[in-house]
Amino acid sequence: MKIISSVIVAIIVLQFIGCAPETQFYWGNYSKTLYAYKKSPDDKTLAVHKNSLNDIITVSTKKHATVPPGVYAELGYILLKENKEKESFECFDKEIKLYPESIEFIGKLKAEFHSGETK
Amino acid sequence: MKNLIILLFFSIFIGCAPSITKQEFAPQMYVEHPKSILVLPPLNKSTAADAKDYYLTTVAEPLTNSGYYVYPIEIVTDILKQEGLSDTETMMNVPPQKFREFFGTDAVMYVSILKWNTVYLITSGSVKVQIECELKSTRTGITLWYYNEEVEVSTTGDNANQGGLAGLLIQAATTAIKTAATDYVPVARDVNKKIFLAIPFGKYNKNFNKDMLTKIELKKKTEKK
Repeated sequence: MKIISSVIVAIIVLQFIGCAPETQFYWGNYSKTLYAYKKSPDDKTLAVHKNSLNDIITVSTKKHATVPPGVYAELGYILLKENKEKESFECFDKEIKLYPESIEFIGKLKAEFHSGETK
Repeated sequence: MKNLIILLFFSIFIGCAPSITKQEFAPQMYVEHPKSILVLPPLNKSTAADAKDYYLTTVAEPLTNSGYYVYPIEIVTDILKQEGLSDTETMMNVPPQKFREFFGTDAVMYVSILKWNTVYLITSGSVKVQIECELKSTRTGITLWYYNEEVEVSTTGDNANQGGLAGLLIQAATTAIKTAATDYVPVARDVNKKIFLAIPFGKYNKNFNKDMLTKIELKKKTEKK
């Protein structure tokens, strides 16, 4: 009887191993707030989306999880548009530190900002 | 008791319906191991005008969870626009190598939304979606992963467990609200989640390079026509 029940337990466990999706990044309300912003882009929807990016960073840090790819870059990009160069570049540098493959892309964003300044 | 064990054993297969391994499905992924993916704005061939935005805002989450560096779609769209590339059809014809020069990405995902149909029955609803995704290497230009399947996600109300006629009425009402008015963002996310079950794990997933023999739920090996 004991053997049978342990076989059952093993099979049930196997089922979960086989099918369970792996969630590793915390994305909060990202999709919803980005969609709302895309539907009606204005200061209000942008502020809500910015909040959701900040929330992802706060919660991920609290959970000792890595901030998902692109989140620091996106926040940095919004800050750049608000002319907050220092804060923006800090975000960009964090993106590169977490994800070295973003270096060319981030470099491009930084360069574009500086070329815009000289115009 | 014996019957129960047999039943449970078979339910493993029913639950996952395996038929092909990830390596058989996308052998080149295990050769090139792309780390980063640039998703291009999709070409919307469906009748749903919003499908493009639903797709774009929900693709990053499941794809990053599969282990890839995904370029933030909003910024990518902006940059492409600045380069005079705002028309999706034109974008689809840009060779993958160009995107490497421009963004430093290992791979580019070309996406066409073929179908985005809302099925609405009184007490149950669903969205049937067919999306053609082609991931191309920016080094060699070859196709690393190709997916073209119909995916169905339920939009049925959550009150299905309330029995009787009253329960059914509540369910019908919530289904109507969910299917008509809503909020397809979670549905779109589920669609993308289902699609990316078929992609091999990337560097940022702990199962990276360990999933060659993982079976995926596909009726047949899809190949580009």
